[in-house]
Amino acid sequence: MAVMNQTKLHPYSRSVSIIGVGCTPFMYTVDNEETNGLTEGELFGYAALKAMEDAGVNPKDIDFYFHGEASPLNGSNYLTPNVQIANWFGMKGKGSIHHSEACCTGYYAVEEAVNAVASGKYDCVLSGCVEFGDSLAIPNHPYKREKMTMDKFLQTTAWLYDRNYTRSLMAGQELIYDDAAEWYKRTRGITDQEMDDTLNWMCINNRKNASVNPLAIERKTYEELAKEFGFDDVMDYMRSPYNPKMGDFLRAGGLEIKCDGAAAVIVCATDMVDRFMGNKSHKAIEVLGIGCSACEATTPHFEVNATEEAVRQVYEVTGVKPEEIDLFYANDFIITSHLIAAEIAGYLPYGEGWKYICEGRTAYDGDKPINTNGGRTSFGHAHAASGLADLYEAVHQMRGEAGEGQVKKLPKTTMLRGYGGAQNICTYIIRTAD
Amino acid sequence: MAIKLEKVVEKFYQGLEEGRILGRKCPKCGAVEFPPVYACNSCGNLETEWFEISGKGKMHSIVMPAPLSSKPEYKALGKFAYGEIELEEGARFNAVVRGITKKKRREILESGRMPVDVKAAIYQRDGYKTVVFDLVEEE
Repeated sequence: MAVMNQTKLHPYSRSVSIIGVGCTPFMYTVDNEETNGLTEGELFGYAALKAMEDAGVNPKDIDFYFHGEASPLNGSNYLTPNVQIANWFGMKGKGSIHHSEACCTGYYAVEEAVNAVASGKYDCVLSGCVEFGDSLAIPNHPYKREKMTMDKFLQTTAWLYDRNYTRSLMAGQELIYDDAAEWYKRTRGITDQEMDDTLNWMCINNRKNASVNPLAIERKTYEELAKEFGFDDVMDYMRSPYNPKMGDFLRAGGLEIKCDGAAAVIVCATDMVDRFMGNKSHKAIEVLGIGCSACEATTPHFEVNATEEAVRQVYEVTGVKPEEIDLFYANDFIITSHLIAAEIAGYLPYGEGWKYICEGRTAYDGDKPINTNGGRTSFGHAHAASGLADLYEAVHQMRGEAGEGQVKKLPKTTMLRGYGGAQNICTYIIRTAD
Repeated sequence: MAIKLEKVVEKFYQGLEEGRILGRKCPKCGAVEFPPVYACNSCGNLETEWFEISGKGKMHSIVMPAPLSSKPEYKALGKFAYGEIELEEGARFNAVVRGITKKKRREILESGRMPVDVKAAIYQRDGYKTVVFDLVEEE
């Protein structure tokens, strides 16, 4: 196996808890008159203010804020996007920092915020992310945007890969689509047909979850789509040219739906929860630990290796066992992530995860729910914002506030595994306070 | 030796122009870094030194190119696949291997020949040379 360095984590200097979350719908802003013209400050501001309202705090209570955006120069014509929008949510004059880890940004948003409070420097911190994944700022206009073309998108995704060697060697950037599927199929000994079915069932399950989530961008189930195209059996549709093979294993349905959106979270020192939350009735959710790893894309099986290391770290520092995880999220802009991350985390048993998926057990109404908001292939992928949108969903599930999409057994402990940026991994465990 | 502000990347590509494929070797633990970088990722030694690799290696995984994972310029490679390469000196990395078709992959997997032998080659891209590998066919 490739050389992998390891890190031993230490417990936080003080406990940190999530007290509020906010999220916009994930959308194609320029496609609708109602949303065309929305700006960075408006999207981020909405998510931030909703998180404050949810937490029962106001901007004066918040000491500092973190701002995440995957591609601020390309998408927003900003080099310092955090500075430009603090006024929109009442934080003029407060300190802030921008960070960017591509599709993993919304997970590192939690790492940054928790560290800032755990260190003792700040008592209450806002962390938010915004992305216009489907549109670009028109230079020299104060608010208008234009649709993101695929050419422009692919030009910027090339920037995710090492310029010195990886782009030259041609393999790392291309293996993102199918490496994990090849690894899973080979190491678990399943057939091509079983792998294809598993990839298709992840799409179906994700869409079923999104179909009952009002913030999701794509809510029409694959069963409905199959009927529209004249298929009685949804799997016949999934294996048809309507869902073409785009990779060695990956079909079109297993790819992200890039779009626009924002999400935010408020964290504070756990021993100050009552002071900040006032008369709010929901329970705070403690962040038990966060594991991080990164493998540049020339590293073999970069996603697998980095996930194994991040998961190892977070289990070691928290003492949590895989069997204690009630709910699981994986950033699955390539849907295979969803399977391999859940098995590496031990949420699904080794070599059996694909069967759980094909039996529908990982949908929101199953016994091992994954990505209850629909994940990147159905909830949508507003790149930086996706991680915090997953946290928004997890928090609502853990409070029993997920509406029609509420999982059967109220989750107490949840793991979220972020991935992206060719390739960063950030995995954390959260638990509802007793 | 001492830590040097050295143009490693440029020297690597100049080496390819001269027909040599260069990596870096750790003087402390002997691990080889390929592609070449300053420090040793195996033992953490702060320095490595130049080392010409043999080019012999093994391919541990095979992924075929597809519409998402190919570019028009890759046509010049002929039939190829992506995969994990292990050099005989130990370094592991992702690379292109020429000479693999879907049929060839099936034959390799069904005959239990993995990992298969590969050999490095210097390949001309637009404006610079890079490293690819060729499948070593059994006699």
